[in-house]
Amino acid sequence: MKVNIVSLTCCAGCVSSFLNAGDALLEILSQDFDIVYSPTFVDLKEVPQVDLAIVEGGVRTEADEKLIREVRAKSRILVALGICATHGGITSLGNIISVKKLLEKEYFVLETSKLPELEDLMYPICNFVDVDYYIPGCPPMPFLIVHSLKSIVSGKTPTRHQSVVCTECNRKIIAAKLDRLYGIYDKEADPNLCLVSQGFVCLGSLTREGCGAPCPRAGFTCFGCRGPTDSLLYRSRDLYSFLVKVISKRTSIPEEEVKKELYRNPFIFHTFIFSKFERFKARERII
Amino acid sequence: MTSQREITISPTTRIEGHGKVTIILDEAGNVSDAYFYATEIRGFDYFLRGMEADRLPFIISRICGVCSTAHVLASVKAIENIYGTEITETAKKLRELLLMGQIISNHSLVFFFLILPDFWFSKEEDPSKRNAFQIMRENPEIGRKAIALRSFATKILDTIGKREVHIVSAIPGGLISPLKEKEREELLKAAKEACAITQEAVSLGKELFEKNWEEFRKAGDYKTHYMALTDDDAIEFYEGKIRILNPEGDVFSEFAAQDYMKHVEEKRYEWTYAKFACLKALGCQKGIVQVGPTARVNVNKKTKTEFANRELEEFKRKFGSPTHATLLFDYARLIDLLYACERTRELLEDESITRTDTRVKVKPKGGVGTSVVEAPRGTLAHEYALTRNGRLKSMKLIIPTQVNSAAINLNVKDAATEFIRKGEIKPGLLNRIEMVVRAYDPCIKCATRNATDSLKVEIRNHEGRLLKILS
Repeated sequence: MKVNIVSLTCCAGCVSSFLNAGDALLEILSQDFDIVYSPTFVDLKEVPQVDLAIVEGGVRTEADEKLIREVRAKSRILVALGICATHGGITSLGNIISVKKLLEKEYFVLETSKLPELEDLMYPICNFVDVDYYIPGCPPMPFLIVHSLKSIVSGKTPTRHQSVVCTECNRKIIAAKLDRLYGIYDKEADPNLCLVSQGFVCLGSLTREGCGAPCPRAGFTCFGCRGPTDSLLYRSRDLYSFLVKVISKRTSIPEEEVKKELYRNPFIFHTFIFSKFERFKARERII
Repeated sequence: MTSQREITISPTTRIEGHGKVTIILDEAGNVSDAYFYATEIRGFDYFLRGMEADRLPFIISRICGVCSTAHVLASVKAIENIYGTEITETAKKLRELLLMGQIISNHSLVFFFLILPDFWFSKEEDPSKRNAFQIMRENPEIGRKAIALRSFATKILDTIGKREVHIVSAIPGGLISPLKEKEREELLKAAKEACAITQEAVSLGKELFEKNWEEFRKAGDYKTHYMALTDDDAIEFYEGKIRILNPEGDVFSEFAAQDYMKHVEEKRYEWTYAKFACLKALGCQKGIVQVGPTARVNVNKKTKTEFANRELEEFKRKFGSPTHATLLFDYARLIDLLYACERTRELLEDESITRTDTRVKVKPKGGVGTSVVEAPRGTLAHEYALTRNGRLKSMKLIIPTQVNSAAINLNVKDAATEFIRKGEIKPGLLNRIEMVVRAYDPCIKCATRNATDSLKVEIRNHEGRLLKILS
């Protein structure tokens, strides 16, 4: 199978994660998986016609948009790898300010002829092309990438992850009696108890599983890098009230109080999913 | 024949991020200027304003997935400087171990996947074959080594950092959890194997480098300033003083890391989304400075570990000190790699690294703080201003690739001048430009954090009209 690996605007962490797969990577490379185009590793400069394209990064510049359209047209299967490609990622935080302001404040008024023009927003790739599979995560874990790719290469549908991170975290959920919420530096976490039950704002209860919950297991709150679960994407999109309810239930702090505390932290939810998903309608394709 | 006046190389392949080269020709068709620049922008410096300090380190790591650990460590150190926090010895050791994991992870990637194809294949080789995957097919043993080394780094980052890309364990005040004795034993065992593989990689790298040295030495030789962290004349990554060497090899200045921004300034150019950085005292014309592997070797006299020190001495014997040839970055990077492996083993042999005092309580407050670490590509500085209630007011980051940009541009211009005469382009231009750019292992993701497009070379005439794009 001929494979393209394409990077749009991103941090290159997803391809790094793929390279971290160790023996599983060697195994997949020894099978029918021939990387023919990848500016990071291979010298070919023209995008070739392939069976599978793996795309990391989202669309921030017109050059990105042109490239993703070309890649789509030339690949049979297209996989969006990582939260930038699937949901816009960290870079979509740039959407809180206008492009004009961004360039004026931080740079200068550009001579537009020399550099690629910026799009008005950072977009996930599904705003421009059809995507066959989405693998969200910042970055997705190596085993998740390799397992999914193996299935795709052998013509099978990869295992989907529809539940929440809490199901992969071994901490015990209780209804504690607390009077306030805590920041991650405020106190040391109990190693066995649910972080929310200890008053930390952990997003595990509204984030898609599949990562193995490395952050909350280590005592660091989940910050939602796998994006919302199926049910939160479609049935009740109000992540905010959902989290307020979860926190209130596990800490016994009244919902009004929780709301007040959360309001102070504008970056809690949308760190990775601030973009708009115009064509994000393919629930069954999120792995 | 109408003279062609502008060349573009795009995308520059086998580097991290999207870069492009434009070469401008004068009326006679000779090179008048050449630029290597970033074509992407993300805007971290701006959109993170207002972010809570306790979320900053793990968000900032998203600047770059390849050197994320270096960013996290610089970030927590900057916040600790503001708070006035002193972390424990145990936490320091674990952080240094994380940074060594970062160096091994990056340098094994750069050596095996990005650089090795240039050393391995002849120039005439079909470009579609000139890559690491082809080497792995021809010689599976090399593939196995590359993956083993990369896996070892992953294991360090995963065990101590709790994630292998974008670690979460480093927080202001230390580390979120200690290293368990069982984990230490496993890592130490792996470290011994990794050191052996690294030795082999260094021998292979040296052998191939020497074979090509006559050719490589032609590819640029710039007498610039050099900057790196130093601890008593020895290579140091996590803390230490900053030393700047002048082109003759004398100490130009030496100062505490907190004063970094007083000595280095940024400059913007309208043709790139990345900002340049140079020495404040000399300005951007004269104050060109290089950071990274060669700079670390030039600035320091030794390394604290045995085998790396031997390699460093051999390097200085062969090439002198300071040494300036651009492609020596690729050689010097192997010394870093060996040092990182040996230092990892040393840190793990110290049983006190498993002590549980990894964390002290921080007392958040407002103010300005600067910190510096040696990232894989060179000296990395973060400076934050926090408000009284712990929000980011502003930040300034100076990234190795920004510092190296001026030297990269000189190199590109030089290569262009060598290959273009009176509008005629000799074959091999593209390859040469890519090799000198690649030697710096530039991370455009970082320099622009901020913006991308892979390497393009554009050739334009003196009026700015696009004549040709090489890709």
